[in-house]
Amino acid sequence: MSYFSNITNAVGTLIEGMKVTMGYFVRPREHVTLQYPDEVWPIPTRNIGVGELDAYNTIRSKLVVDIDDCIGCKACERACPVNCIHIDTYKGGPDEDLGTTSNGTKIKLLTASFIIDMSECMFCDLCTPPCPEDCITMTPDYQFISNDNLKMDVTPEQRWRDRNLLIYQFSKVSETERQQRKAQAEAIAKAKAEALALKKAEALKAAEDKAALAAAEEAVTAKLDPTSAETVSASESVSTDINSTGSEVKVDIPIASVTLAETPVPAAEPVANTPEPETPVAPGDDISTPDSSENLEDPTTKESENG
Amino acid sequence: MIQSLANWILSFDILAGLGNPIAWGLSLFIVSALIFVFVAVNAIVLVYIERKVSAFMQVRLGPMRVGKFGSLQTVADALKLLQKEDIIPRSADKILFLIGPWVILVASVVTFAAIPFSDTLLAADMSIGLFYVVSISSIVVLGIVMAGWASNNKWSLYGAMRSAAQIISYEIPVGITLIAVVAVVGSLNLQTIVQAQGGTGNLFYWIPLPLPNWFIFHSPFLFLAAFIYLIGATAEINRTPFDIPESESELVAGFMTEFSGLRWALFFLSEYANATLVAFLVAIIFLGGWQSPFSNYAGAQIGFSILTLLAVMWTLFVKAKTQRLSFYPLGLSLMITIAAWLFPGFAIWLASPGLFWMLIKVGSVIFLLMWFRWTFPRLRVDQLMYVSWKVILPISLFNLMGVAVWMWLTGEIHF
Ligand code: SF4
Ligand code: SF4
Repeated sequence: MSYFSNITNAVGTLIEGMKVTMGYFVRPREHVTLQYPDEVWPIPTRNIGVGELDAYNTIRSKLVVDIDDCIGCKACERACPVNCIHIDTYKGGPDEDLGTTSNGTKIKLLTASFIIDMSECMFCDLCTPPCPEDCITMTPDYQFISNDNLKMDVTPEQRWRDRNLLIYQFSKVSETERQQRKAQAEAIAKAKAEALALKKAEALKAAEDKAALAAAEEAVTAKLDPTSAETVSASESVSTDINSTGSEVKVDIPIASVTLAETPVPAAEPVANTPEPETPVAPGDDISTPDSSENLEDPTTKESENG
Repeated sequence: MIQSLANWILSFDILAGLGNPIAWGLSLFIVSALIFVFVAVNAIVLVYIERKVSAFMQVRLGPMRVGKFGSLQTVADALKLLQKEDIIPRSADKILFLIGPWVILVASVVTFAAIPFSDTLLAADMSIGLFYVVSISSIVVLGIVMAGWASNNKWSLYGAMRSAAQIISYEIPVGITLIAVVAVVGSLNLQTIVQAQGGTGNLFYWIPLPLPNWFIFHSPFLFLAAFIYLIGATAEINRTPFDIPESESELVAGFMTEFSGLRWALFFLSEYANATLVAFLVAIIFLGGWQSPFSNYAGAQIGFSILTLLAVMWTLFVKAKTQRLSFYPLGLSLMITIAAWLFPGFAIWLASPGLFWMLIKVGSVIFLLMWFRWTFPRLRVDQLMYVSWKVILPISLFNLMGVAVWMWLTGEIHF
């Protein structure tokens, strides 16, 4: 008898299954999934700002920098917990006018390179509140990989985008100019280091002379001499400082080399090269000019800010 | 049809000089080309419909990009297949490998010669039409075994062997089911079978429900036989749930595994030609072929009014179940009903037999096959054999006897 009950059971369950599929067949639109590129979910409109004052309705998504307003203060770079913002600033020349921001602040530093690595960004939104000019903002654009014909472009047209690597360069400064500025800054740093070394050597020499003199004097008066040892150790600490600043200049170089590798500028050569011969600023000139003493200060101030 | 086409060709003054043999050959060529074009276009359309139906049943949308609602998708796919490299495995049996797909294709296309598309549209009016169709369509298994063996691949061989076992097993219940119908008509001619189903009669002879004289309404036994035939035929054309010869999860693509490009497209073509053939046979044998469901134009008006009522009920039912209004069936049947009442000419056209009704029925059966395919899980090999030998065969034998008894009871035959 199980033979017949099996057959009726089979027919019954088959009809049951056919009912289900027909139910879906007659009204597919009700159940079908979101047709993604054609339709998108509406962006949630809730306040995700930090406080009452910076309340804004947007999801935390792609970052955009209005580079015209950026003063290169690196507040955002320091705020980023994953260090995915890389900024390269160089001080403009003495007579160079870098413009003012929309807030009226005068821009003093040229932001030669402003890179946000979106593949590392975790969308924590910690970089936007510190910005004094409100120029780094989060947009609701969450569609990073896109064809241009899908019309998802909400960012300013000046921003340069590498959609393979998700590394976004916001600075408008051209690659050649960036190279020049870098070479200049390196030259200045070198000159500064040389000047410092020179100064130190002089100081050392003077100290030695002094010590020798003192020793000569001491030799006359007494036999033990504790002070000269102190001065020698002090001069050693200065020289290590110079080394550390030099290495910090080099730490910045790989960041610039990222952009070097991506941009189609033909002369791009990655990392730590010696300055190209056609750089307009020769190292020797700067030291001799009277302005050089003013220029000499800024790499160190930059470095101290960075630290 | 070939002779009448030849006569038509000869009726032109310019062509009259051709003589009968040449005109006959020419019309033979035209008719064959027409059938082949029908099969090819049919495959392209059916692949699209199948993808859409399967998508809707699986809560997807299916192809949506190429053309409006993806309607050109299969055309694009066909073009892609034509461009593909034709790979012949080094260790394959070359001759059989090359012949296999063509044997399958020819066997499935040639059967259409005996199919009456309408009362006049018939390539060859054979007195053994049904026998011809059934026997020729069995040649497909030869092509499948050739293709599977020649591929020199264990999956292909498994698929071919399974296919052979399956087709041979299901031939028997299908044949016996068809014998039951032939017993009612007393002819193997498909055109005669269709003509025997004209007019209106009672449901199952005694139940006073006026329905067309189709064999599916002839007796409970033939009603059952229609489904038995559908199941057996589904198995014969290797469609899901009986697709063990090409079951993707076990055998990659069964006997098609090693084929690519045009040859693979030929398999696809013949697969859909076979499905269409089965639908045609079901329509011809059980659903009255090209006969209209209405015996006269008043019948068409009343019939579509009833359909509209059913559509209203369906709409209300869907509304009650899902709180959603679906107006497609209601709107369609309402439009036809209004047109049938307003324009008697339209009602007369609806009531007259023809290609339209044939295609409607074939389309419905194909949809039923797709519905099966995208609902049921695949049977295991032993289950397949169980269904064939232990379930369908006894039922079809029982049916054959039942039909004989029924005909004796209703006085159609006398002993
Ligand atoms: S959102 Fe967070 S992780 Fe992303 S750049 Fe800003 S501070 Fe860094
Ligand atoms: S905090 Fe704002 S102004 Fe400062 S570097 Fe970042 S983006 Fe520029």
